[in-house]
Amino acid sequence: MQWAILSGIEGNLAAYEAVLADIRRQRNPVTDLYIVGDLVGLKGDNEAVVRRVREPQPGEPIPQVCTGWWEEQCFSLHGFRGLPDAPELVERYGLGAVKDLWETVSRQTVQWLATLDFGFHELDCLLIHGSTVSYSDELTPETPPITLCDGLIRADANTLFCGRSGRAFECWIEPGALRSTVTTLDQTAAPQEQEKSPRRVVGVGNVGRVGQPAYVLYDPGADRVSFKQVQGSVAKGFGASKGLGYR
Amino acid sequence: MKLAVISCIHGNYEALDAVLCDIDNQKAEQIYCLGDLVGYGPYPNAVVEMIRSLDIPTCQGCWDEDIVEGLNACECSYPSQLAEKRGHLAHEWTNRVIHPEVREYLASLPMTLRQDNLCFVHGSPNSQHEYLLPTMDGFAALERVLAAEADVLFCGHTHVPYLRELENGTLSVRVQQPGQGETQRQFTAPLKRIVNAGSVGEPRHGRPNATYVLYDTDTTQVTLREVPYDYKKTCAAILEQGLPPIFAWRLERGMEFAERAEDAGHVCER
Repeated sequence: MQWAILSGIEGNLAAYEAVLADIRRQRNPVTDLYIVGDLVGLKGDNEAVVRRVREPQPGEPIPQVCTGWWEEQCFSLHGFRGLPDAPELVERYGLGAVKDLWETVSRQTVQWLATLDFGFHELDCLLIHGSTVSYSDELTPETPPITLCDGLIRADANTLFCGRSGRAFECWIEPGALRSTVTTLDQTAAPQEQEKSPRRVVGVGNVGRVGQPAYVLYDPGADRVSFKQVQGSVAKGFGASKGLGYR
Repeated sequence: MKLAVISCIHGNYEALDAVLCDIDNQKAEQIYCLGDLVGYGPYPNAVVEMIRSLDIPTCQGCWDEDIVEGLNACECSYPSQLAEKRGHLAHEWTNRVIHPEVREYLASLPMTLRQDNLCFVHGSPNSQHEYLLPTMDGFAALERVLAAEADVLFCGHTHVPYLRELENGTLSVRVQQPGQGETQRQFTAPLKRIVNAGSVGEPRHGRPNATYVLYDTDTTQVTLREVPYDYKKTCAAILEQGLPPIFAWRLERGMEFAERAEDAGHVCER
């Protein structure tokens, strides 16, 4: 069993094709393909990407897709959920972005996007765009350790795969010690030492936002994460990827 | 300076009156209120008027928010379907009897209050709907206090008072990024405390007495207070007003099985 986990295609069909080609080249076949949000974006061919994701070619793993920041902006624009008129989008990218997103993602596509999950619990992992707190939660290696630890506790997972930051990283959180003492009206309980085994947050990079397409391979049997970056010009074709795996 | 912190009055004027008398006897110099002035109980307007007349700094509770924003302001705020059904009945009644100026006052309440290294919230710094139960994971609890940028976080919402001390919190983080060497960070937290003020008007600690807390800013001593009052008067008023009799039943016993949060980490995603 091997998972490919990616995020941030943002309408970049060529980059997505490059990743799919790289996935096909893996010696250890990819059995599951997860896309943790941001299929669509501002610059690419959003409809083409959605079609490609919904209609995988024979032999390709069927993508399991959850929603991301850009999908939430579509829901807001089309009045599906959240605040109306995409204030987050306007604040970050200006009013022009509203027009672009409106024109490049059809209502029918938004309806399909609205059927997607918020995230996936699989084995002892949570795969999600931001975090369980919010789709816009951006976890990075610089996020305060206690916030990362809390994210894992909320996720109820040993590994949290996320994509919001667009960065590729593996961040092990190793709780040391914590003494907790609770006093109620009736008693003061004996202090308890809170213990926890190490857990991790994995940023899966981004496929189409910036730089070379990047994604993550995960072998659940070996509990091994490998970072993949697809080399070469995406516009011209697909070079071999360089594995950067470590345990 | 001695502070008194009260929460979750829920329209129970008798209980509020008794607690204010006790606070007076304890010679507290400042009172903070953590919200939920209305809901469940028969005297929402009188409770709000009392709080306003004493100029007590108050943050907004989930019930106060629901009265302002409309029913189901937060669709996921109830821990069970039974609790939701009863809550809706109480909401409809309160919504009907509340005075316009009371609604306006509830709308004006802040989510958070601060005094030096103390932070006051209804549920948690994240949400009025999050239950900080004493059994919550210690690191998650620590995160809430740190998120509030405080040494002592006062909260309510669970209706059961407690003091939780979190000491010697340490974490290490090991980061690997493609093309870069491994880096490590250490994190240590000094003593942090969560103080749950319990509930003045709808206690759930197993007895009908009102609860609140005292905090001495000089000694940092926390005292959980339990105040007997004539709860039968409130129970009778609940029945007289046509509110669900279960509210009187549970007030008499100081417990509510249907409203125990099943998910301590529950956070409204609205």
